[in-house]
Amino acid sequence: MADVEETLKRIEGHKGVIGTIIVNSEGLPIRTTLDNSTTSLYARLLRSFTTLARSAVRDVDPQNDLTFVRIRSKKQEILVAPENNYLLVVIQNPSE
Amino acid sequence: MFADEDLDSVSVESVWRKSQQGAQESRACQTPAVTTEHAGVQTGSKTSRFTQTEPQEQMDPKRVFSGSGSDPPGLVDFLRRVEELLIRELEKNSRSHAFDGFRANWEERSQQVSHLHRLEHPGAQEQGLHVTAVSWSCTGSVIACAYGRTDDGDWTNQKSCVCLWNLDRRGLRPKQPDLVLDVPAAVTAVCCHPERPALIAGGLYNGEVVVWDTSRTQDPVLAQTGMSADSHREPVYQVFWVPLEKKGEFGVLSSSSGGRVLLWTVDPDQGRMVLVAAYAFVQQQVPHSSRLKARGGSTVGVTATALSPWDPDTFLVGSEGGLLLRCSFSSQTPAAVTSEGRSVTPRAPAVFSFRPSGGPVHSIHCSPFHRNLFASAGTDGLVQVRSLLQADPLLSVRVSDSYVFQVQWSPSRPLVFAAATGRGEVQIFDLARKSLRPAGTIQDGAPGRTATCLAFNSQNHRLLAAGRSDGSVGIWRLSSELMEQRPSESLQLEQIANQVAE
Repeated sequence: MADVEETLKRIEGHKGVIGTIIVNSEGLPIRTTLDNSTTSLYARLLRSFTTLARSAVRDVDPQNDLTFVRIRSKKQEILVAPENNYLLVVIQNPSE
Repeated sequence: MFADEDLDSVSVESVWRKSQQGAQESRACQTPAVTTEHAGVQTGSKTSRFTQTEPQEQMDPKRVFSGSGSDPPGLVDFLRRVEELLIRELEKNSRSHAFDGFRANWEERSQQVSHLHRLEHPGAQEQGLHVTAVSWSCTGSVIACAYGRTDDGDWTNQKSCVCLWNLDRRGLRPKQPDLVLDVPAAVTAVCCHPERPALIAGGLYNGEVVVWDTSRTQDPVLAQTGMSADSHREPVYQVFWVPLEKKGEFGVLSSSSGGRVLLWTVDPDQGRMVLVAAYAFVQQQVPHSSRLKARGGSTVGVTATALSPWDPDTFLVGSEGGLLLRCSFSSQTPAAVTSEGRSVTPRAPAVFSFRPSGGPVHSIHCSPFHRNLFASAGTDGLVQVRSLLQADPLLSVRVSDSYVFQVQWSPSRPLVFAAATGRGEVQIFDLARKSLRPAGTIQDGAPGRTATCLAFNSQNHRLLAAGRSDGSVGIWRLSSELMEQRPSESLQLEQIANQVAE
């Protein structure tokens, strides 16, 4: 458990990071540093987005698989590290 | 040996029947007559209503954030696997210049400001009326224009009107308003209700405040103050709808050059406006700082008011003598005026006095993007960007050589504001640019006519309405550059706000 906290602290302390969310396989957030409503919104949307991205990659080439997702918007960048069981979502403001 | 014999018969009395009979008793009773009546009921009208609740997707609160409980299996391993990759990406991001200046085109971009319509009311133009105020409705499709004179110093009995045009209608006729509300005096201020599109509040030259309801066909006047002891005696230069404590209700705040700011509620049944709170400005009660010298007579004639969208208790007031004051709705000090038969005792709300500008203040507007910033404009041709926390202005931008009649911050870009000048131009300034020249100039028709008022459309950020003294209102579509927010604008605004004036 301490490992989890330490790891998350290392990530959150990074330059420009606004928030971190860990989502489980059902789309429910397990850990978060943002408020509830934003967290549930991100969790639900990004889980389905990641599944879509993964199927896109695998349909093009079945030997390939998704390793990382980055969504860049005007105000921030969302980084998602996907897996079958969990998702790690980090929201970073890159221009700082 | 056996012989026949006769014996007497023996009888046994039945005891059973007698005891049964002995236990019998008969009783009779009767209830009094029951009165009955018939009545018939029939429903005259019926309505059916259905409601249904939808199952809400509830997150089980125990499953989320189970910080102190046991971690789900495999979480630690997952994080270990993923951490290195993530940190590498984060690093790359913070150093990357790949996306500098890159913007995706989701909408068609226009390079220029284009003129959409020129709305005129021939009846008002014949009388030589100027457009004194414009206001967009809360839906963003109707514009209300108030007519009056901006150059008269005297009482006039001239009738004027408020005209409404619905810009989203197909058959829009620029020379014919969709609705004309006749008013017995010149209208000096108009404001549309922020939630109900049919209500419009207006302030008149003779001190009255009127509320019109455009959904009523017979008499659109919903309520008016009339000339009572409570109402203003001088022209009402600004009206606003303010939210009252009861949620969903709005009152009308009116300020006049007689030095009073009054808060009214609308009583539609009686057609009157009821005074709820009164604030009076008297020279002696204005907070002074040692180096400011106050000018003018004993009353402080209020020519401009602004409400702060961040703090419902604060409002800003600008006067004829150039004073700028920050005031509070909840102030309790009574004002030093004689209350001649007024129903509500006036209070003195001034809390802080800013450095005065060089002439009467015509317009103040609070920035919708930063709590502390506001812009003020007056007859000295400057627009001053000020902070609520400091007496001195942060920035002074020279907009024109003549008077500036109105200034308003853009609702979509934090660093942009527009000013209506006495030369007939509307200048749009972008504080992100280093140069002092305007980012855009809107000139409509013949120069030499003053642009008296302007309003940004809060629903459709592309539109800007500007009224002129020749009685026409121009509707302009802004270029994308003036409309779309850039990524670092909020930061720049924050920097401007945090500057300390020397």
